[in-house]
Amino acid sequence: MNLKIKDKSLKFDINKNKKMKNIKILPIMLVLAVMASLTAFSQEKITVKGSDTMVILAQKWAELYMKTNPSASIQVTGGGSGIGITALINGTTDICNASRPMKQTEIEKLKARYNTLGVEIPCAKDGVTIFLNETNKVSELTLQQLSGIYTGKIRNWKEVGGNDAEIRLYGRENSSGTYTYFHDEVVKADYAANTQSLPGTAAVVNAVKKDVNGIGYGGAAYAVGVKNAKVKKDSNSTAYLPTKESIGKGAYPITRFLYMYLRNRPTGETKKYIDWILSAEGQMVVTEVGYFPVK
Amino acid sequence: MKKLLAIGIFALISVYGFSQTQKPDSLKDVIEKHEGKLNALDDRVLVNEADLSKLNKIKVSGYIQSQWESYGADLEKSNGYNNTFYIRRARIKFTYEALDGVKFVLQPDFSTGNISLKDAYAVVNIPKLKNWTLWAGQMNRPDYEVEYSSSQREVLERSRVIRTIYPGEREVGVKLEYAGTKIPLKFQLMAMNGNFTGAQAKDVDSQKDIMARLVYSVKLPGAGIGIDFGPNVYYGGNLSKNNKYFKNSDGTLDSLKSVWKYLNKNWVGGEIQIFADVLGGMAIKGEYITGINSSPGTVAATSTMAQMLASPSLYNNFSGYYIYFIKNIGPKNQFVAKYDYYDPNIKLSGDAAGNNIYYKTWTFAWQYYLNDFIRISLNYEMPKNEINASNPTDKKDNTLGVRIQAKF
Repeated sequence: MNLKIKDKSLKFDINKNKKMKNIKILPIMLVLAVMASLTAFSQEKITVKGSDTMVILAQKWAELYMKTNPSASIQVTGGGSGIGITALINGTTDICNASRPMKQTEIEKLKARYNTLGVEIPCAKDGVTIFLNETNKVSELTLQQLSGIYTGKIRNWKEVGGNDAEIRLYGRENSSGTYTYFHDEVVKADYAANTQSLPGTAAVVNAVKKDVNGIGYGGAAYAVGVKNAKVKKDSNSTAYLPTKESIGKGAYPITRFLYMYLRNRPTGETKKYIDWILSAEGQMVVTEVGYFPVK
Repeated sequence: MKKLLAIGIFALISVYGFSQTQKPDSLKDVIEKHEGKLNALDDRVLVNEADLSKLNKIKVSGYIQSQWESYGADLEKSNGYNNTFYIRRARIKFTYEALDGVKFVLQPDFSTGNISLKDAYAVVNIPKLKNWTLWAGQMNRPDYEVEYSSSQREVLERSRVIRTIYPGEREVGVKLEYAGTKIPLKFQLMAMNGNFTGAQAKDVDSQKDIMARLVYSVKLPGAGIGIDFGPNVYYGGNLSKNNKYFKNSDGTLDSLKSVWKYLNKNWVGGEIQIFADVLGGMAIKGEYITGINSSPGTVAATSTMAQMLASPSLYNNFSGYYIYFIKNIGPKNQFVAKYDYYDPNIKLSGDAAGNNIYYKTWTFAWQYYLNDFIRISLNYEMPKNEINASNPTDKKDNTLGVRIQAKF
């Protein structure tokens, strides 16, 4: 397996075979490698795509950062964590925001395409909040009850201490990280067929605000004009609202990290931007928006 | 005139009377009417969403590989041409996720003159055993290079050792798989017919072959390094129906107790993949396999001992390995160098090996990812064979390939 033998064999074949004598395969490859290397590091604009839960936070970060760093150009779009991760794998975004961890299958795609595991940066914490209409008598739910409600096993509010009324389910589309997180950590089975999928947490909150029998879930930052249900692990546990204290202690049962993902370890402007997000100044924005700092 | 006046008065009275009967709706009525309409629309949306969610459970993906290849002189002699265009793959994969944890996969291949079934299996999450799945049907054998789809692979063809011991990549059987989420471990255990090459609908003997693979992943996020490694093992056999004689690896003749006995087909292997985030991603991947492979001698049931001895079964100790070096250059380009080795009979070399000669193959490739869907590959494969009396020169079998792959 030494290189000399290989080189001789290549020379031998190319020289002896007239049909292939003009193919200088290795020099071509080397030239292409140099050209590609030169173009690889010329990007300056930072594109951020992904989680709708994080879009208000990401926009606020970008806005403030660009104010103090006028040379920086940061473009933020939502679409859902799934869309963001696909964009990261396809190479159409520099940073992916995700409200759930990347799945093993997604990491495998990243490995296959870029030969890296990706870089995961937890940048905020969130308590997945259970939204109820303000007139709803119910004030707390166990994880099991939530699973029952969202799988369609519990269909009436009176089964969980509320009025005798049919429960109306609101949720997110399947490209949403919150949809996946809530499915994996709470529902743990198929969502009920009558769950209305809405594009964004703001739409879920809006629907529950108008529907006295509605229930929804989503990022804590969106909980305006609705009642937040306390959540407890089981009937014997203490119920918690998603507050700074309960999230900080890890007592709120549906606490999660919000992440930024990159293909490679950040360098240049991207590194500066991420360092700023993780700084005290960047983490203050997290609190202002309604999420919880990582530190 | 009087007549006209009368008609006019009648018309005015009629209009007045009509306008008196059409009282404007109250705001409450209007709201109720619209609320009813909205509720009806809401119900229709729910029905449509339910229908749409069924469709969302079906995922369609696929790829087409259109290729041009140019061959060395010896391949030109055997093929009758020194270059060709062809469709290497034209596949559509249908995945239907019927329920949470129940998935069906069907993948036909439509490449020219060869419509064949590649994958047809069901995957079920085992109740109460988190991360365990049961697979049943026709699927890839559990091996790294086998499972690594050609739509992702960095060189045009798999290694010679893998192509030889796992022909067609697929097998028919059942597989138990554990893919840990908290423990970074993957375990696969498959029971299969063991002789599948893509043609047989059923097994050709009673014994089932067993294959197991274990992969452990280590992550060093600070250094941007990930390492996957683990062993694999194959335990199976080939039924020697009509010939009890076989030739050992060292060329000696031996005999089974009788016909209708099994010749072993056992091997062990180890794999490693190292991924490193060094100026844009880099990987080194390798696998080593060694063991015994057998192939039954094909003679008629009524053959004499002399005929049996003339065409004995083969019982060979073999070994093979491959190693890839892959470097990403920016987000769109990739350079690949690969070396693979395969010796079908490690006990004999030189003239004694006959046609069971080893091959050492260097492959260099360049990938260019035009966009999310299109990949262009330039690939140069240089096999170097063992030289002996039966094969007095290194065959001129280098192959240059250019592939355009469209994936969706």
